[in-house]
Amino acid sequence: MSVADWFRVRGRSLQSISFSLHRLTGLVLFIYLLMHLSYLTSLKLGKEVYESLIATTVSPAFLPFDILLLLATIFHGVNGIRVVLNEFGIGYEARKAMLYAAYLITAILWIIASVAMYNFVVGVR
Amino acid sequence: MDELEGMHTRRVLEPAAWILQMVSGLLLAALIAIHLYVTHFSTHDALAYENVVERFRDAGFKAIYTLLLLAVTFHAFNGVRAIVLDTDFGAKNRRAVNWLLMLLFVAAFAYGILLMSSV
Amino acid sequence: MKVIFNIRRFDGEKDYWQSFAVPVFRGMTLLEGLFYIKENLDGSLAFRASCRMGVCGSCAVKVNGKPVLACETQISSVNSSKLDIEPIDNFRVIKDLVTDFEGFFRKHEAVKPYLIRNDDNYENPVELIQTPKQMKSYYTFSLCIKCGACYSVCPAAATRSDYLGPAAITAAWRFIADSRDEGKEERYEAVCGDNGVWRCHFAAECSEVCPKKVEPAKAVQKMRIRTALHAIKKVIL
Ligand code: FES
Repeated sequence: MSVADWFRVRGRSLQSISFSLHRLTGLVLFIYLLMHLSYLTSLKLGKEVYESLIATTVSPAFLPFDILLLLATIFHGVNGIRVVLNEFGIGYEARKAMLYAAYLITAILWIIASVAMYNFVVGVR
Repeated sequence: MDELEGMHTRRVLEPAAWILQMVSGLLLAALIAIHLYVTHFSTHDALAYENVVERFRDAGFKAIYTLLLLAVTFHAFNGVRAIVLDTDFGAKNRRAVNWLLMLLFVAAFAYGILLMSSV
Repeated sequence: MKVIFNIRRFDGEKDYWQSFAVPVFRGMTLLEGLFYIKENLDGSLAFRASCRMGVCGSCAVKVNGKPVLACETQISSVNSSKLDIEPIDNFRVIKDLVTDFEGFFRKHEAVKPYLIRNDDNYENPVELIQTPKQMKSYYTFSLCIKCGACYSVCPAAATRSDYLGPAAITAAWRFIADSRDEGKEERYEAVCGDNGVWRCHFAAECSEVCPKKVEPAKAVQKMRIRTALHAIKKVIL
Protein backbone atom coordinates (compact mmCIF):
# COMPACT_ATOMS: atom_id res chain seq x y z
CA MET A 1 0.00 0.00 0.00
CA SER A 2 1.80 3.06 -1.20
CA VAL A 3 1.24 6.01 -3.47
CA ALA A 4 2.77 3.94 -6.27
CA ASP A 5 -0.62 2.20 -6.37
CA TRP A 6 -2.06 5.37 -7.93
CA PHE A 7 0.01 4.66 -11.00
CA ARG A 8 -0.64 0.94 -11.47
CA VAL A 9 -0.97 -0.02 -15.09
CA ARG A 10 -1.01 -3.80 -15.32
CA GLY A 11 -4.47 -5.23 -15.80
CA ARG A 12 -6.05 -1.78 -15.63
CA SER A 13 -8.39 -0.20 -18.14
CA LEU A 14 -7.90 3.18 -19.78
CA GLN A 15 -10.24 4.65 -17.14
CA SER A 16 -7.71 3.99 -14.37
CA ILE A 17 -4.78 5.01 -16.50
CA SER A 18 -6.46 8.34 -17.20
CA PHE A 19 -6.88 8.82 -13.47
CA SER A 20 -3.15 8.17 -12.99
CA LEU A 21 -2.22 10.61 -15.74
CA HIS A 22 -4.62 13.19 -14.34
CA ARG A 23 -3.00 12.99 -10.93
CA LEU A 24 0.49 13.06 -12.42
CA THR A 25 -0.19 16.06 -14.66
CA GLY A 26 -1.97 17.75 -11.75
CA LEU A 27 1.16 17.51 -9.63
CA VAL A 28 3.34 18.71 -12.51
CA LEU A 29 1.07 21.70 -13.04
CA PHE A 30 1.04 22.43 -9.32
CA ILE A 31 4.82 22.65 -9.29
CA TYR A 32 4.74 24.74 -12.44
CA LEU A 33 2.22 27.13 -10.86
CA LEU A 34 4.55 27.70 -7.92
CA MET A 35 7.43 28.35 -10.32
CA HIS A 36 5.29 30.63 -12.46
CA LEU A 37 4.16 32.73 -9.52
CA SER A 38 7.65 33.13 -8.09
CA TYR A 39 8.98 33.91 -11.55
CA LEU A 40 6.58 36.84 -11.79
CA THR A 41 8.27 38.49 -8.81
CA SER A 42 10.84 39.61 -11.37
CA LEU A 43 8.27 42.09 -12.66
CA LYS A 44 8.78 44.03 -9.46
CA LEU A 45 12.55 43.84 -9.69
CA GLY A 46 12.51 45.93 -12.84
CA LYS A 47 12.52 45.66 -16.57
CA GLU A 48 16.08 44.30 -16.91
CA VAL A 49 15.60 41.36 -14.55
CA TYR A 50 12.29 40.46 -16.11
CA GLU A 51 13.51 40.68 -19.67
CA SER A 52 16.62 38.66 -19.04
CA LEU A 53 14.45 35.91 -17.51
CA ILE A 54 12.12 36.02 -20.50
CA ALA A 55 15.09 35.92 -22.88
CA THR A 56 16.39 32.71 -21.31
CA THR A 57 13.08 30.89 -20.81
CA VAL A 58 11.35 31.86 -24.02
CA SER A 59 14.03 30.33 -26.17
CA PRO A 60 14.47 27.31 -28.44
CA ALA A 61 16.34 25.53 -25.64
CA PHE A 62 13.21 25.61 -23.51
CA LEU A 63 10.85 24.72 -26.33
CA PRO A 64 10.71 20.96 -25.53
CA PHE A 65 9.70 21.77 -21.95
CA ASP A 66 7.09 24.23 -23.16
CA ILE A 67 5.61 21.64 -25.45
CA LEU A 68 5.54 18.98 -22.73
CA LEU A 69 3.97 21.47 -20.39
CA LEU A 70 1.35 22.23 -23.02
CA LEU A 71 0.59 18.53 -23.23
CA ALA A 72 0.19 18.29 -19.46
CA THR A 73 -2.04 21.37 -19.40
CA ILE A 74 -4.22 20.33 -22.30
CA PHE A 75 -4.58 16.77 -21.03
CA HIS A 76 -5.43 17.90 -17.52
CA GLY A 77 -7.94 20.39 -18.90
CA VAL A 78 -9.70 18.18 -21.41
CA ASN A 79 -9.64 15.08 -19.22
CA GLY A 80 -10.73 17.28 -16.33
CA ILE A 81 -13.83 18.43 -18.18
CA ARG A 82 -14.69 14.79 -18.82
CA VAL A 83 -14.23 13.94 -15.15
CA VAL A 84 -16.31 16.92 -14.02
CA LEU A 85 -19.16 15.86 -16.30
CA ASN A 86 -18.97 12.30 -15.03
CA GLU A 87 -18.69 13.37 -11.42
CA PHE A 88 -21.76 15.57 -11.79
CA GLY A 89 -23.57 12.49 -13.05
CA ILE A 90 -23.60 13.43 -16.74
CA GLY A 91 -22.83 10.81 -19.35
CA TYR A 92 -22.00 7.84 -17.16
CA GLU A 93 -23.27 5.44 -19.82
CA ALA A 94 -21.19 7.22 -22.45
CA ARG A 95 -18.04 7.24 -20.33
CA LYS A 96 -15.98 5.12 -22.71
CA ALA A 97 -16.83 7.29 -25.69
CA MET A 98 -16.10 10.40 -23.64
CA LEU A 99 -12.75 8.94 -22.68
CA TYR A 100 -11.70 8.30 -26.26
CA ALA A 101 -13.00 11.72 -27.28
CA ALA A 102 -10.89 13.32 -24.53
CA TYR A 103 -7.72 11.70 -25.87
CA LEU A 104 -8.59 12.67 -29.42
CA ILE A 105 -9.29 16.29 -28.49
CA THR A 106 -6.12 16.41 -26.40
CA ALA A 107 -4.05 15.21 -29.35
CA ILE A 108 -5.59 17.70 -31.78
CA LEU A 109 -5.28 20.68 -29.44
CA TRP A 110 -1.73 19.69 -28.54
CA ILE A 111 -0.62 19.64 -32.16
CA ILE A 112 -2.22 23.02 -32.88
CA ALA A 113 -0.81 24.58 -29.71
CA SER A 114 2.64 23.15 -30.30
CA VAL A 115 2.80 24.66 -33.76
CA ALA A 116 1.69 28.01 -32.37
CA MET A 117 4.26 27.72 -29.58
CA TYR A 118 6.99 26.88 -32.08
CA ASN A 119 6.12 29.92 -34.13
CA PHE A 120 6.07 32.08 -31.04
CA VAL A 121 9.47 30.97 -29.77
CA VAL A 122 11.37 30.36 -32.97
CA GLY A 123 9.46 32.66 -35.32
CA VAL A 124 10.50 36.21 -36.13
CA ARG A 125 10.43 38.53 -33.18
CA MET B 1 -15.79 23.21 20.92
CA ASP B 2 -13.35 20.75 19.45
CA GLU B 3 -16.21 18.42 18.73
CA LEU B 4 -18.26 21.19 17.14
CA GLU B 5 -15.46 22.27 14.89
CA GLY B 6 -14.94 18.71 13.75
CA MET B 7 -18.64 18.40 12.99
CA HIS B 8 -18.56 21.66 11.11
CA THR B 9 -15.65 20.78 8.84
CA ARG B 10 -17.22 17.37 8.37
CA ARG B 11 -20.40 19.03 7.21
CA VAL B 12 -19.32 21.87 4.91
CA LEU B 13 -15.67 21.73 3.99
CA GLU B 14 -15.68 18.50 2.01
CA PRO B 15 -18.85 19.01 -0.05
CA ALA B 16 -18.12 22.71 -0.66
CA ALA B 17 -14.51 21.98 -1.62
CA TRP B 18 -15.63 19.25 -3.99
CA ILE B 19 -18.17 21.44 -5.78
CA LEU B 20 -15.74 24.37 -5.97
CA GLN B 21 -13.03 22.08 -7.31
CA MET B 22 -15.32 21.05 -10.16
CA VAL B 23 -16.52 24.60 -10.86
CA SER B 24 -13.04 26.15 -10.69
CA GLY B 25 -11.82 23.38 -12.98
CA LEU B 26 -14.36 24.25 -15.65
CA LEU B 27 -13.59 27.94 -15.22
CA LEU B 28 -9.86 27.28 -15.57
CA ALA B 29 -10.32 25.44 -18.84
CA ALA B 30 -11.66 28.68 -20.30
CA LEU B 31 -9.42 31.13 -18.45
CA ILE B 32 -6.16 29.29 -19.15
CA ALA B 33 -7.08 29.05 -22.80
CA ILE B 34 -7.49 32.84 -22.81
CA HIS B 35 -4.27 33.29 -20.84
CA LEU B 36 -2.26 31.13 -23.22
CA TYR B 37 -3.79 32.84 -26.22
CA VAL B 38 -2.93 36.29 -24.91
CA THR B 39 0.61 35.52 -23.82
CA HIS B 40 1.79 33.15 -26.53
CA PHE B 41 -0.46 32.94 -29.51
CA SER B 42 -1.69 36.47 -30.21
CA THR B 43 1.34 38.67 -30.92
CA HIS B 44 5.06 38.11 -30.67
CA ASP B 45 5.57 40.95 -28.23
CA ALA B 46 2.95 39.80 -25.75
CA LEU B 47 5.59 39.07 -23.12
CA ALA B 48 7.50 42.34 -23.46
CA TYR B 49 7.78 44.17 -20.15
CA GLU B 50 5.74 47.19 -21.26
CA ASN B 51 2.91 45.05 -22.58
CA VAL B 52 2.71 42.98 -19.40
CA VAL B 53 2.61 46.09 -17.24
CA GLU B 54 0.05 47.69 -19.50
CA ARG B 55 -2.20 44.63 -19.27
CA PHE B 56 -1.93 44.72 -15.49
CA ARG B 57 -3.25 48.29 -15.55
CA ASP B 58 -6.21 47.53 -17.78
CA ALA B 59 -9.40 47.02 -15.76
CA GLY B 60 -10.78 44.25 -17.98
CA PHE B 61 -7.55 42.25 -17.87
CA LYS B 62 -7.29 42.83 -14.17
CA ALA B 63 -10.74 41.37 -13.64
CA ILE B 64 -10.01 38.29 -15.75
CA TYR B 65 -6.58 37.78 -14.18
CA THR B 66 -7.97 38.11 -10.67
CA LEU B 67 -10.54 35.46 -11.46
CA LEU B 68 -7.86 33.26 -13.03
CA LEU B 69 -5.61 33.70 -10.02
CA LEU B 70 -8.41 32.87 -7.61
CA ALA B 71 -9.50 29.79 -9.55
CA VAL B 72 -6.00 28.47 -10.17
CA THR B 73 -4.73 28.88 -6.62
CA PHE B 74 -7.85 27.29 -5.16
CA HIS B 75 -7.85 24.44 -7.65
CA ALA B 76 -4.14 23.73 -7.13
CA PHE B 77 -4.03 23.81 -3.35
CA ASN B 78 -7.37 22.09 -2.90
CA GLY B 79 -6.23 19.47 -5.39
CA VAL B 80 -3.12 18.80 -3.37
CA ARG B 81 -5.27 18.73 -0.23
CA ALA B 82 -7.43 16.02 -1.79
CA ILE B 83 -4.35 14.06 -2.81
CA VAL B 84 -2.85 14.21 0.67
CA LEU B 85 -6.18 13.26 2.24
CA ASP B 86 -6.20 10.19 0.00
CA THR B 87 -3.43 8.78 2.16
CA ASP B 88 -3.38 7.40 5.70
CA PHE B 89 -0.90 10.14 6.54
CA GLY B 90 -3.47 12.74 5.51
CA ALA B 91 -6.19 11.01 7.48
CA LYS B 92 -4.09 11.12 10.63
CA ASN B 93 -3.25 14.81 10.22
CA ARG B 94 -6.52 15.85 8.66
CA ARG B 95 -6.97 19.11 10.45
CA ALA B 96 -3.37 20.27 9.95
CA VAL B 97 -3.55 19.39 6.26
CA ASN B 98 -6.81 21.30 5.82
CA TRP B 99 -5.53 24.39 7.58
CA LEU B 100 -2.10 24.40 5.98
CA LEU B 101 -3.31 24.04 2.41
CA MET B 102 -6.15 26.51 2.78
CA LEU B 103 -3.69 28.96 4.30
CA LEU B 104 -1.26 28.45 1.43
CA PHE B 105 -4.11 29.04 -1.01
CA VAL B 106 -4.95 32.36 0.63
CA ALA B 107 -1.27 33.34 0.79
CA ALA B 108 -0.67 32.54 -2.88
CA PHE B 109 -3.79 34.46 -3.88
CA ALA B 110 -2.81 37.48 -1.77
CA TYR B 111 0.72 37.41 -3.20
CA GLY B 112 -0.65 37.43 -6.73
CA ILE B 113 -3.02 40.31 -6.03
CA LEU B 114 -0.27 42.37 -4.41
CA LEU B 115 2.03 41.73 -7.32
CA MET B 116 -0.62 42.67 -9.82
CA SER B 117 -1.49 45.93 -8.10
CA SER B 118 2.11 46.98 -7.47
CA VAL B 119 3.48 46.86 -11.02
CA MET C 1 -3.23 -29.23 -22.89
CA LYS C 2 -1.53 -27.80 -19.87
CA VAL C 3 -1.68 -24.28 -18.52
CA ILE C 4 0.84 -22.86 -16.07
CA PHE C 5 -0.69 -21.51 -12.86
CA ASN C 6 1.91 -19.15 -11.46
CA ILE C 7 0.66 -18.41 -7.97
CA ARG C 8 1.85 -15.76 -5.55
CA ARG C 9 1.93 -17.50 -2.21
CA PHE C 10 2.29 -16.26 1.33
CA ASP C 11 2.88 -18.51 4.30
CA GLY C 12 2.52 -15.92 7.05
CA GLU C 13 6.14 -14.79 6.78
CA LYS C 14 7.36 -14.75 3.26
CA ASP C 15 6.02 -14.06 -0.18
CA TYR C 16 7.01 -16.31 -3.08
CA TRP C 17 5.87 -17.38 -6.51
CA GLN C 18 5.22 -21.01 -7.29
CA SER C 19 4.28 -22.55 -10.64
CA PHE C 20 2.01 -25.50 -11.28
CA ALA C 21 1.22 -27.19 -14.60
CA VAL C 22 -2.51 -27.85 -14.70
CA PRO C 23 -4.11 -30.06 -17.36
CA VAL C 24 -7.16 -28.18 -18.58
CA PHE C 25 -10.30 -29.23 -20.41
CA ARG C 26 -12.84 -27.24 -22.36
CA GLY C 27 -14.99 -25.12 -20.07
CA MET C 28 -12.75 -25.61 -17.03
CA THR C 29 -12.85 -22.70 -14.59
CA LEU C 30 -10.00 -21.14 -12.70
CA LEU C 31 -11.49 -22.43 -9.48
CA GLU C 32 -11.44 -25.98 -10.81
CA GLY C 33 -7.79 -25.41 -11.66
CA LEU C 34 -7.08 -24.29 -8.09
CA PHE C 35 -8.90 -27.35 -6.75
CA TYR C 36 -6.87 -29.54 -9.09
CA ILE C 37 -3.65 -28.13 -7.59
CA LYS C 38 -4.90 -28.56 -4.04
CA GLU C 39 -6.00 -32.16 -4.67
CA ASN C 40 -3.13 -33.37 -6.82
CA LEU C 41 -0.08 -31.13 -6.59
CA ASP C 42 0.10 -29.19 -3.33
CA GLY C 43 -2.45 -29.64 -0.57
CA SER C 44 -1.14 -26.61 1.32
CA LEU C 45 -2.48 -24.11 -1.24
CA ALA C 46 -5.06 -21.87 0.41
CA PHE C 47 -7.90 -20.15 -1.43
CA ARG C 48 -11.48 -19.31 -0.61
CA ALA C 49 -14.57 -20.53 -2.42
CA SER C 50 -18.01 -21.70 -1.54
CA CYS C 51 -20.86 -21.58 -4.03
CA ARG C 52 -18.92 -22.20 -7.26
CA MET C 53 -21.58 -20.24 -9.12
CA GLY C 54 -20.83 -16.55 -8.73
CA VAL C 55 -23.19 -15.91 -5.86
CA CYS C 56 -21.27 -15.94 -2.60
CA GLY C 57 -18.42 -13.61 -3.53
CA SER C 58 -15.72 -15.68 -1.81
CA CYS C 59 -13.43 -16.47 -4.67
CA ALA C 60 -12.15 -13.18 -6.12
CA VAL C 61 -8.49 -13.45 -7.14
CA LYS C 62 -6.24 -11.40 -9.37
CA VAL C 63 -5.39 -13.03 -12.69
CA ASN C 64 -2.78 -11.34 -14.85
CA GLY C 65 -3.35 -8.12 -12.93
CA LYS C 66 -7.15 -8.09 -13.08
CA PRO C 67 -9.50 -9.22 -10.32
CA VAL C 68 -12.05 -11.87 -11.34
CA LEU C 69 -14.27 -14.48 -9.70
CA ALA C 70 -12.32 -17.73 -9.99
CA CYS C 71 -15.51 -19.77 -10.23
CA GLU C 72 -16.98 -17.70 -13.07
CA THR C 73 -13.86 -17.37 -15.19
CA GLN C 74 -13.02 -20.05 -17.70
CA ILE C 75 -9.33 -20.68 -18.10
CA SER C 76 -9.63 -20.48 -21.88
CA SER C 77 -11.20 -17.02 -21.65
CA VAL C 78 -8.08 -15.55 -20.09
CA ASN C 79 -6.38 -16.34 -23.38
CA SER C 80 -2.93 -17.06 -22.04
CA SER C 81 -0.96 -20.23 -21.42
CA LYS C 82 0.55 -18.79 -18.27
CA LEU C 83 -1.62 -17.27 -15.57
CA ASP C 84 -0.22 -15.05 -12.83
CA ILE C 85 -2.60 -15.60 -9.94
CA GLU C 86 -2.40 -13.31 -6.92
CA PRO C 87 -4.58 -12.38 -3.98
CA ILE C 88 -6.62 -9.22 -4.66
CA ASP C 89 -5.00 -5.89 -3.75
CA ASN C 90 -5.93 -3.50 -0.94
CA PHE C 91 -6.69 -6.37 1.42
CA ARG C 92 -4.34 -7.88 3.98
CA VAL C 93 -3.23 -11.32 2.86
CA ILE C 94 -3.74 -14.07 5.45
CA LYS C 95 -2.42 -17.04 3.47
CA ASP C 96 -1.81 -17.51 -0.24
CA LEU C 97 -4.97 -16.28 -1.99
CA VAL C 98 -7.00 -15.78 1.17
CA THR C 99 -7.43 -12.17 2.24
CA ASP C 100 -8.86 -10.52 5.34
CA PHE C 101 -12.36 -9.09 4.71
CA GLU C 102 -13.02 -7.95 8.27
CA GLY C 103 -12.54 -4.21 7.61
CA PHE C 104 -14.43 -4.44 4.32
CA PHE C 105 -17.50 -5.82 6.08
CA ARG C 106 -17.24 -3.26 8.90
CA LYS C 107 -17.38 -0.54 6.25
CA HIS C 108 -20.47 -2.16 4.82
CA GLU C 109 -22.04 -2.10 8.25
CA ALA C 110 -21.21 1.59 8.65
CA VAL C 111 -23.65 2.64 5.91
CA LYS C 112 -26.55 0.64 7.47
CA PRO C 113 -27.25 -1.64 4.52
CA TYR C 114 -30.78 -2.63 5.51
CA LEU C 115 -34.24 -1.09 5.17
CA ILE C 116 -34.87 1.52 7.84
CA ARG C 117 -38.53 2.20 8.59
CA ASN C 118 -40.10 4.54 11.08
CA ASP C 119 -43.17 2.34 11.38
CA ASP C 120 -41.59 -1.04 12.06
CA ASN C 121 -44.29 -3.20 13.53
CA TYR C 122 -43.43 -6.85 13.88
CA GLU C 123 -46.73 -7.80 15.54
CA ASN C 124 -48.85 -6.67 12.63
CA PRO C 125 -46.51 -6.67 9.63
CA VAL C 126 -47.71 -4.82 6.56
CA GLU C 127 -46.69 -5.34 2.99
CA LEU C 128 -44.55 -2.56 1.52
CA ILE C 129 -45.83 -1.93 -1.96
CA GLN C 130 -43.50 -0.91 -4.77
CA THR C 131 -44.06 -0.41 -8.49
CA PRO C 132 -41.79 -2.22 -10.96
CA LYS C 133 -40.32 1.16 -11.88
CA GLN C 134 -39.46 1.93 -8.28
CA MET C 135 -37.76 -1.42 -8.00
CA LYS C 136 -35.81 -0.90 -11.19
CA SER C 137 -34.25 2.26 -9.78
CA TYR C 138 -32.11 0.31 -7.34
CA TYR C 139 -32.22 -3.26 -8.63
CA THR C 140 -28.77 -3.34 -10.31
CA PHE C 141 -27.13 -1.99 -7.18
CA SER C 142 -28.69 -4.73 -5.08
CA LEU C 143 -26.83 -7.43 -7.03
CA CYS C 144 -23.54 -6.89 -5.18
CA ILE C 145 -22.06 -10.10 -3.79
CA LYS C 146 -19.34 -8.38 -1.71
CA CYS C 147 -16.47 -10.06 -3.52
CA GLY C 148 -14.20 -7.03 -3.02
CA ALA C 149 -13.09 -6.76 -6.67
CA CYS C 150 -14.07 -3.07 -6.85
CA TYR C 151 -12.36 -2.23 -3.60
CA SER C 152 -9.18 -4.00 -4.72
CA VAL C 153 -8.70 -1.75 -7.77
CA CYS C 154 -9.72 1.54 -6.17
CA PRO C 155 -6.75 3.95 -6.02
CA ALA C 156 -8.20 5.76 -3.01
CA ALA C 157 -8.71 2.51 -1.10
CA ALA C 158 -5.10 1.62 -1.93
CA THR C 159 -3.65 4.44 0.12
CA ARG C 160 -6.35 5.32 2.61
CA SER C 161 -7.29 2.32 4.71
CA ASP C 162 -10.41 3.86 6.24
CA TYR C 163 -11.96 4.88 2.90
CA LEU C 164 -15.41 3.30 2.81
CA GLY C 165 -14.83 2.18 -0.76
CA PRO C 166 -17.07 1.59 -3.76
CA ALA C 167 -18.93 -1.45 -2.42
CA ALA C 168 -20.08 0.15 0.83
CA ILE C 169 -21.07 3.43 -0.83
CA THR C 170 -22.97 1.47 -3.49
CA ALA C 171 -24.81 -0.35 -0.70
CA ALA C 172 -25.73 3.03 0.79
CA TRP C 173 -27.07 4.18 -2.57
CA ARG C 174 -28.97 0.92 -3.07
CA PHE C 175 -31.05 1.76 0.02
CA ILE C 176 -31.31 5.49 -0.57
CA ALA C 177 -32.71 4.82 -4.04
CA ASP C 178 -35.25 2.41 -2.55
CA SER C 179 -38.71 4.00 -2.23
CA ARG C 180 -39.47 1.99 0.94
CA ASP C 181 -36.46 3.27 2.86
CA GLU C 182 -36.66 6.02 5.46
CA GLY C 183 -33.07 6.10 6.68
CA LYS C 184 -31.57 8.45 4.12
CA GLU C 185 -30.37 11.01 6.61
CA GLU C 186 -28.30 8.50 8.59
CA ARG C 187 -26.64 7.19 5.46
CA TYR C 188 -25.74 10.64 4.16
CA GLU C 189 -24.10 11.28 7.51
CA ALA C 190 -22.22 7.99 7.29
CA VAL C 191 -20.64 8.74 3.92
CA CYS C 192 -20.13 12.50 4.40
CA GLY C 193 -16.88 12.28 6.37
CA ASP C 194 -13.52 12.74 4.68
CA ASN C 195 -13.21 8.94 4.53
CA GLY C 196 -16.45 8.83 2.54
CA VAL C 197 -17.61 9.83 -0.93
CA TRP C 198 -15.09 12.67 -1.30
CA ARG C 199 -12.21 10.26 -1.78
CA CYS C 200 -13.58 9.05 -5.10
CA HIS C 201 -11.98 10.74 -8.12
CA PHE C 202 -13.76 8.71 -10.77
CA ALA C 203 -10.98 6.37 -11.80
CA ALA C 204 -14.09 4.22 -12.44
CA GLU C 205 -12.08 1.01 -12.47
CA CYS C 206 -14.60 -0.45 -10.02
CA SER C 207 -17.26 -0.52 -12.73
CA GLU C 208 -14.78 -2.12 -15.11
CA VAL C 209 -13.98 -5.08 -12.87
CA CYS C 210 -17.31 -5.70 -11.12
CA PRO C 211 -18.21 -9.31 -12.02
CA LYS C 212 -21.89 -8.56 -11.40
CA LYS C 213 -22.02 -5.31 -13.42
CA VAL C 214 -23.32 -3.45 -10.40
CA GLU C 215 -21.87 -0.13 -11.68
CA PRO C 216 -20.37 1.03 -8.37
CA ALA C 217 -18.85 4.12 -10.02
CA LYS C 218 -22.33 5.30 -10.99
CA ALA C 219 -23.68 4.71 -7.49
CA VAL C 220 -20.80 6.63 -5.90
CA GLN C 221 -21.35 9.65 -8.20
CA LYS C 222 -25.08 9.71 -7.42
CA MET C 223 -24.39 9.28 -3.75
CA ARG C 224 -21.90 12.12 -3.77
CA ILE C 225 -24.14 14.71 -5.42
CA ARG C 226 -26.95 13.85 -3.04
CA THR C 227 -24.63 13.98 -0.05
CA ALA C 228 -23.22 17.34 -1.13
CA LEU C 229 -26.68 18.84 -1.58
CA HIS C 230 -27.82 17.35 1.70
CA ALA C 231 -24.80 18.69 3.59
CA ILE C 232 -25.06 22.18 2.11
CA LYS C 233 -28.80 22.34 2.67
CA LYS C 234 -28.27 21.38 6.27
CA VAL C 235 -25.81 24.20 6.84
CA ILE C 236 -27.94 26.83 5.15
CA LEU C 237 -31.25 25.86 6.77
S1 FES D 1 -17.24 -19.42 -5.18
FE1 FES D 1 -18.98 -18.22 -4.73
S2 FES D 1 -18.66 -16.51 -6.04
FE2 FES D 1 -17.07 -17.83 -6.62
